Formats: sequence, C-alpha cells, structure tokens
Amino acid sequence: MEQRPAGFNVHTGSDVAAMLETMGLRSVEQLFEDIPAQVRLNRELELPPALTEWELKRDVREMAALNRTTTTHVSFLGGGAYDHYIPAVVDAIVSRGEFLTAYTPYQPEMSQGLLQALFEFQTLVGRLLGRECVNCSVYDGATALAEAAWMMCAATGRRKIVVPEALFAEYGAVLQTYLTPRGVTLVHAAANRQTGCTEAKAMQSLVAQGDVAGVILQTPNAFGVVEDVAAVASICREHSALLCVAVNPWLCGWIEAPGSLGADIVTCEGQPLGLPLSSGGPYVGIIACAKPLERFLPGRLVGRVHDLNGKLGYALVKEDREQHVARDKATSHICSNQALNAIRVAVHLACLGEANFMRIAQSNAARAASLRERLVALPGIKSLRSGVHFNEFAIELPMAATTFCDRMSARGLLAGVPIPASLAGHDRSLLIAVTETRSRADIDAYVAQAAVCLTGETA
Amino acid sequence: MSASSTLLDLHRPGAASDVFAGAPEPLPTAIPAFARRRASIGLPEIAEVDVVRHYTRLSQESHGVDNGPYPLGSCTMKYNPKRNDELAREPGFAQAHPLQRADTLGGVWELYERLQRMICEVTGMDECCLAPAAGAHGELAGLLMIRAHYLHRKEKRPVVLVPDSAHGTNPASASMAGFECRIVPSDLRGRVDLPALREMLTPEVAAFMLTNPSTLGLFEDQIVEIAEAVHANGSLLYYDGANLNALMGIVRPGDMGFDVVHVNVHKTFSTPHGGGGPGAGPVAVKRELAAYLPSPVAVRRQGVAIRDDDRPLSVGKMKSFHGHVGVLLRAYGYLRTMGGKGLREASVHAVLNANYLQHRLSPMLPPVYRQVCKHETLLSGEKLNTSARQFAKRLIDYGIHPPTLVGAGCVYFPGDLKSAMLIEPTETETKASLDYQVGIFQKVFDEDATDEALVESAPLSRKIARIDMKG
Repeated sequence: MEQRPAGFNVHTGSDVAAMLETMGLRSVEQLFEDIPAQVRLNRELELPPALTEWELKRDVREMAALNRTTTTHVSFLGGGAYDHYIPAVVDAIVSRGEFLTAYTPYQPEMSQGLLQALFEFQTLVGRLLGRECVNCSVYDGATALAEAAWMMCAATGRRKIVVPEALFAEYGAVLQTYLTPRGVTLVHAAANRQTGCTEAKAMQSLVAQGDVAGVILQTPNAFGVVEDVAAVASICREHSALLCVAVNPWLCGWIEAPGSLGADIVTCEGQPLGLPLSSGGPYVGIIACAKPLERFLPGRLVGRVHDLNGKLGYALVKEDREQHVARDKATSHICSNQALNAIRVAVHLACLGEANFMRIAQSNAARAASLRERLVALPGIKSLRSGVHFNEFAIELPMAATTFCDRMSARGLLAGVPIPASLAGHDRSLLIAVTETRSRADIDAYVAQAAVCLTGETA
Repeated sequence: MSASSTLLDLHRPGAASDVFAGAPEPLPTAIPAFARRRASIGLPEIAEVDVVRHYTRLSQESHGVDNGPYPLGSCTMKYNPKRNDELAREPGFAQAHPLQRADTLGGVWELYERLQRMICEVTGMDECCLAPAAGAHGELAGLLMIRAHYLHRKEKRPVVLVPDSAHGTNPASASMAGFECRIVPSDLRGRVDLPALREMLTPEVAAFMLTNPSTLGLFEDQIVEIAEAVHANGSLLYYDGANLNALMGIVRPGDMGFDVVHVNVHKTFSTPHGGGGPGAGPVAVKRELAAYLPSPVAVRRQGVAIRDDDRPLSVGKMKSFHGHVGVLLRAYGYLRTMGGKGLREASVHAVLNANYLQHRLSPMLPPVYRQVCKHETLLSGEKLNTSARQFAKRLIDYGIHPPTLVGAGCVYFPGDLKSAMLIEPTETETKASLDYQVGIFQKVFDEDATDEALVESAPLSRKIARIDMKG
C-alpha cells in the first residue's frame, strides 16, 4: 500500500524512493548525518493528536466561544482599537492568493501589482495625514510611535523625548521598551486638569532646555481630548525640536491633519481603516514624515522607477536605510511588516472616497457628542476634562469604573475602557468610544442601562 | 480604465455611492477654530466595481505561492493552507476587542496557552511569549531579555556576536537593544570559524546569535562545541528560528544548547506572508530567562487558561495589545493539522527537496559547498555567461519566482559569494514540480549558453522590462 503524506505534505512513499534513487541514497536519514547524535530528538514530538479539517474548525470555534465579542455585546470600547464599518470588498481583495501568499516584493518585475498597491497606500495615507513621505507600514500604532521617536533622536543627535502624560498606556509602555536600552530619556509633560489638553507652558519649559530631540503628542489623547497641534508645533520650531503626532486617522476627516498643522512626523494605528478588531492584531502601524526626515524612516519604501526602456514602474527603493544592507547601522531592524494590512487600508479608503470619509468622521463626532451629553445629564456622572472631543470622551462615575463596566456587561454592553488611576487620579473614570456603527438605539440602550447601573442594582 | 491605471486615474467626482442612507447628522460641537480643515483630503471617488477591477488587476500582476513555485531562499515559501485563513475569520476572535477585561478573552488565553506549549515542545524550550509581531521583533524581545538578565545580575556585557552570514535583522536588532555588534567569520566549510569564535568570546560578550541551519543552508555541525564555548564564557546562545523548517522533530534548539529562540510562524508554520507581512515571531526561552518574557504570557490555573499578570521582571510590552492573534490562529491550525509525525515528515521532505534540487541542478549551478545541505542550498553562478541576476530575471519569464540573490532578499552572503543564489524549494513542492523547475533551469541555462542577448534582456513577458535601479 502506498504511504500517504501527512497534513499538507505532498510526497508519497514512492516519490521519496524515486528521489533518493536519483541521488544514489538509501535513506532520508543520510541527509541528517551531520547532526550530532547526542543532541538529536530520538522520539516523536509530543503534540496533541492531528485533527481533520472539520475537527479543527470545531476546536477553534469552541475556544472562540470563550471570548465575549462586539457581536455578543454592544461595544463602546476604543482606547486605540475601534469597531468601524468595513466594506466586504476589503476582505475579498486581500483574500486573493496573489497578494495573500506573496513574499516581500524583492523581484519588482514579477510584483508590479503588489508594489503599485503599496505605492498607492503610501500616496493615500500621505494625503490623509498631511505628510508626503510614508513607508510601507510597521507593526502597529505603538511601534510606529516608538520608531518615530527614534527617528527624531537619529535626526537631531539628541537623546531626550518629551512624552505627554495623556498617552494611551500601551503606547507609553512600548516607548519605554524601545527607547530605554538605547539611552533615550523620556520626560513627561502634564495635561491640564480642566481641559485634558497637554499643557503648552509645561511643554515650552521642557523644550526650552535645548536638549530635546522631539516632542510627542497623541490626538485625541488618553482623555479623548483633541490636542492643539499647531500651538505645540510652533513651540517646537522655536527651539529646533521635532514634533511627532500620533493621530486617530479618522480625526483627519474632521479637522486639519497633523502634518498640515506642523507635525514633522505623523504616526497612526491603521486598524480603524478597514481592519477587524481581531482580539488585538494583526494591525498596521503607519509613519508619515516630511521630506528631510525620509532617510530616517524605518522599513520598506516603494518608489516610482523606470525600466530599461524608460517605462514607469514600481520598486522597493532607498534600501540603504534597511537592515539587509546597513545591518547594525540601519534605521530599524524591521523586515517583515504589515503589507497586506496596508493594502487593506488602501482598499478601504478607495471604497469610501472623500465624501464618505468626511461623513463617517462627522458621524463619529456627532454620535459621541450625543452620548456624552446624555450621560453627563444623568445624576452621578460628570464629564471628565472639558476639552474638544472627537469620537471618544471620558466620564467620571460615582463608583469604580470596573464595577460599572461589570454591571453594564451583564446587561449586554461593553461600556468603555477604564482610565488608569495613575492618569485620572482615581479609579472612577471611563473612556467611551462611539463609531458610525453604533445606532441611535445602541446609544439609547447605553443611557438607559447606565441609569439603572448607577442606582446600584445588578442584573 | 487601462492596463496601467492608477487608483487616482479612476477618480470621478461623486462616483462613490453613499455608505449612509439618511441625511448627515448635525454636529453638536463646533469644530475647534485652531484646526478647521482648509482643504479637502484628496481621496479619490471611485465606483465600487472599478475598485474591485483595479485591485483584481493588481493582484494578477503579482506572484504568490498560490500562483506557482516560489523557491526564495531563507523565506520558506511553503503552501499556506486555506483552512487556516478561515480560522482567522472566526467571529469569536475576529470581533473581540483587545481592551475587554482579560477574563472576557478566555478564548485568546486558551489559544495562547496551547500554542505556547506546542512551540516549547517543537523548540525544546521551557516558556514562551507569542506577542512579537515578526521574526525581527522576536529577536529584539530575546535580546532585551538577555539585556535584562545581565542587568539583574549586575554584569556588564555590552557586546553581541553574530556570524558574517547572519540575517541583517540580527545586527540591527542587537543595535536597537543597545548592544555593540561584532562579526564572527565563517570557515572554508561555510560554518562558524570555531577558533575565531573562541578568541572573540571575551567577558564583555552577552550572547552569540546563530541561525542553524545557517543562511548558507548548512547545519552547524560543531554546535555542541559552540554551545559549550559560549556557556563557558558565561554568555548566552540565541537561536534565530528563520531556518527551523529543516529540523522539526529531528533536533531541537533547546537540546542543542540554545537559551533563547524566536520562531517565524510565517515561514515554519505556514502562515501567509501577505506581500511583506503580517507575520508573528514568538520568543521561547529556558527556565532561567522565563521571568523576563515580554507581556502577555498565558498560564493554566485549575484547568483554565488565563493571562499571567504577575511577572515583575518582564521586559514589558513589545507592541500594543496581545500580539497577532489572527496570525497565531493560523499557526495553531497548522500545528494541529500536522501533529508531531507530520511536522517531522515536513522537515524531512523539505531537506529531501533541497538536496534533490541541489543534485539535479549541480551540472549547471554547482553548489558552493559540495555537501549535503539542509532545507536550502547555495548555488554558484560561476558557469553562467551572463550573471546570476540575469539568470534569475529569465526565470520570471517562465513563471518561477527567482531564488534569493544578494540585493534581492533579506540575506547577506559573506566574502566572494556575491554571485551565488540561495534556493529553498520547501516540502510542499511535489516531485513533478521540482522536475519541472529543473527543466526550466536547464532551459535558461541553455539560453545563457546560446543566446546571451536574450537572457540579458529578460524579463520579456512582464508588464515592464528590467527595472533600472540606477535610473
């Protein structure tokens, strides 16, 4: 009887025999004789037994059932990942095997389509963020910010970065991980207690010391407050420090893009632009910068080039920045990036177009404002930070935020993301996000259930 | 719409249909004056059918494993199982929000705990963290742990050693982790020059990073001596898992003496590479380093998988949230389908295929190191009239993705190997496919002998001719 291959392997017993015969070998073991006997594994790997396709599906479905989701509950969670509308076209396109199963386009003549798709991603994102030089993505929004912080250090030769206090905790943690080993000092700029905006005065005194490589702002920030990018940009310019703004990309459909307001580098988490929440990843980190900073960009860049006949084409360019050429002098170690998710972003933006993009952004702001107004009208709930809000806002509760969330969760709602006590000063504050996919009825339900949960009753 | 349209060419004002049914909602808050938008963004307006046709055309002008052979050395372009893509779309994972309370993400921790254990078994390590986003990110995580380990012991070890044939990510990650890099030469057999390594092992050395099999496709047969020398110096041995596909179930990094390992799941565990990513780069360690693992790590307590939040010595967060869940689900699907026996068979077949190609191609492209290779082989272009580059470009005309060349791949060949090509067939190419590839290589080799001008002008079948990188 023919020996069949296991799993996704392809050779039958006779294939193996024929290949060995061609090579004049008796056994496949002869191919492994260079491995010292003393380190070899002389047993089968102890893995769970192999599953059929239908058993595997069932097994994963059973694990999935252990998660609550934005389909089992009505979600108002944000804090860096948002439940937006995704056109069906996006999944259809990125499921195409020619994109999905390709490697990095090292052979441009064979990968013109992939390169063009990535080039167009760079173009669209550059327009959206207001800075023209965009790379082909990094891992996520937090690593994009960390890479951008190092760009500011490399470009200025300085080793101090000003970090706003009102930064998503995850982003702060990743900055710490990336920058501390390289000897970069992170100094913190406080947020105004009333408005939640990062204090321009505090910023001014930090930057005025003259040893600051760059300043970071996040907008909307960890209180959901929109920062005054232009004001900070002018402080930075005055003291020749660079400015990097981590922005929610949808904000650029509502107000001026950070790049146009003077940010030298704009980073963002691209998840809200066509990527599912996917329990946290894979997402896509985006970095856009001004031309003089391009040579400090990490990772792949696609450029327009010409073939030998002068015809326009696309290729990976300026690779002398990258690890496979510059090795320990590279701008970053990044090799694999999030290319397929960059294509998702481009397809998403192409499907929506300008008018829909603006309307969705406006709808996020309108729905968030409506929920905020109605919640702070409830006895016991106060607005936390008075600054300008976009899609996300903070409230102060009369009880621990986690208690409130538990009660709301029992009633089918994911009420928000508690703001760390280290930032808010207490554990009673909640960050609430609203997107275009939350209906009027969803908002009504939030208000009604919140009123009940505040009275102390549980479901 | 033409064969060379850009997305922006398809713009027609008002062409994108409304995603909303009703009138725009009134804005209750005024847009702040400091930031009023002065101009439009400049996003094109395109009819949905035109978007679909545009990207369908772009996909047709691309090449993936689904299209045909992709023997790109060091990239392990094996078949990416469709069933695993379906797992990533499972709503229980795809629609869960990362900032839900940890106890409402039980499925994530269940997946993580199982996958961590499986990766530990395959690599021979004790504990694992799945958070890193890609191989290079796993390297950075591993090096940060090594750094934390010596900081904790108050030992000053600012140097990391890497072989001259190392992936560029090794020295780049070392530099990001704050280390100084020193390069260990290869010997004439293509292996680490052991006497040179011994000499370079000074008290300043924190770690030696090694890929085994190396990027030259050779097993480091002095690995036992290497590990002994490194450990005798009080240093740690780092395993770059890029080439793990050659060894599954045969020999494990942990048993070879490695202390830290990263795995490229988009290579070894068949997750699709998406034209550049996303991948995932889990990092696994021996017990002595486990306290430093990045966050999150899942553990099983009273039968239930949970996130272990009590890890005070952790190097912290490598990226936001928990890791590439959508990618890791696919890796899980692969491992559960293959089982222990299937994994070993995959590695045996990967090595068999590489040696078969090496044997069949050797009359045209002799192997640089004339010996048994592992999952890939480095071939010399010395018999070619044109060049390895042009040989590669001509392969494109026959629908075969070229092997890895210097300047066209993420590897680096030391010394005078600049004209060599690294070919990795993977285990999912049938004998018929390999024989077909040999036939095409023979054809191009003959063309190179008889019609140099033809090969010099390749590729001829694509939308564009050879890119002029100087232009």
